[in-house]
Amino acid sequence: MLEMGTGAPLKGARLNRVREFLAVRGLRMGDDAEYTVCLFDEREELVGTGSLSANVLKYIAVAEDVQGEGACAKIVSELVSFAYRQGRAHLFVFTKPQNEKQFRALGFYPIVSTEEAMLLENDRRGLSTFLNSLPRGNGGVVGAAVVNCNPFTLGHAYLLETAAGMVDWLHVFVLSENRSHFDAQERYLLVREGTKRLKNVFVHRSADYLISSATFPTYFMKESADSAAINADLDILLFAERIAPALNITKRFVGTEPFCAVTRAYNERMKAVLPKYGIELVEIERKDGISASEVRRLMAAGDMEGVRRLVPECTYEYLYGGR
Amino acid sequence: MQIVALGVAGTMESSDIIVRIEPNDGGGIELSIESTVMQQYGKQIDRVIRKTLSDLGVESATVAVVDKGALDCTIAARVSCAAFRAAQSTDYVWNGGVKQCQAD
Repeated sequence: MLEMGTGAPLKGARLNRVREFLAVRGLRMGDDAEYTVCLFDEREELVGTGSLSANVLKYIAVAEDVQGEGACAKIVSELVSFAYRQGRAHLFVFTKPQNEKQFRALGFYPIVSTEEAMLLENDRRGLSTFLNSLPRGNGGVVGAAVVNCNPFTLGHAYLLETAAGMVDWLHVFVLSENRSHFDAQERYLLVREGTKRLKNVFVHRSADYLISSATFPTYFMKESADSAAINADLDILLFAERIAPALNITKRFVGTEPFCAVTRAYNERMKAVLPKYGIELVEIERKDGISASEVRRLMAAGDMEGVRRLVPECTYEYLYGGR
Repeated sequence: MQIVALGVAGTMESSDIIVRIEPNDGGGIELSIESTVMQQYGKQIDRVIRKTLSDLGVESATVAVVDKGALDCTIAARVSCAAFRAAQSTDYVWNGGVKQCQAD
């Protein structure tokens, strides 16, 4: 009989045991585990573990000698119940491709895979429902941009306007992840407001399928991330293999990135991978070096005039409209 | 019974079933089943789930289950529990079956 222990998050000696247990099995545990489950045998040996980070189940491993005894199901069951209790209904599993069958039996369906990693979701039609729900234009050249806009600046306005001028239709995905200064809904509404005179632009919420905790967790751990190992391939392949074909996207637009090493490495990786799928990466020179982080810095310093010079009317109104 | 939130009951352990119920904005019952005994009992599981929901007066919901060989009574119990949670309702009677649900 296996005993279960949990930690939210796990700390101290037990966390070190879990890290070691995973390391032996070729898995490196990041700092993003919010809730961790441990299974112990009668000798109190650690024989299985799994963690939840946002809406993603990861760092799951079971000792060879207890496999096939429902250990994995026990771990996944506990993680899923915990996530549901937090109201997180749409869940993902990040694992090795060889574990696909095991997770299918637990109600997870693959959405994308590289040689080393696979992403599955707990909704058989999750991704296709998302793709079918996106409004789109008819024919012509189609482009896409994925933006955070934290908040929406004149730099973003320039990027999207320039991109829209180079294609017949432009899909703009605003990150839905709520890990930024401005929440997802306000960022989405500002981008919609700021681009509404561009008639060939569709603004979408990225849901969990573009640059999310599931597809590209490193993006949200920029400070601690090693830019050489950003693990963006799942995100890039998901875009190239599933999202782009559904919308006939053949151009992906990004701004040049002088500041953030992770974003720069991500752009470099896209430049290498996307052409294999018939998608061109188009880099647009950043306008006057404007950055959203500079805007947030000016806001914190109370410099309203400084902010006004860097953001469009809609963002300024939103920030200071009530005054 | 109106489904207004996420409701879950059960586990993924052997002989149990985990049931997840969410609102489906008037789109009827959308049911997806994953089961270790799909070949043998898939239709029966589908029937028990739909019957339980219809007895509770649930007309519209997205339902996803992962079954690990649960008996029919377990399936019905888990589905009822998840439905009550998803309806944010405590309108049940222990040991005497479910109260007649008013269509509202």
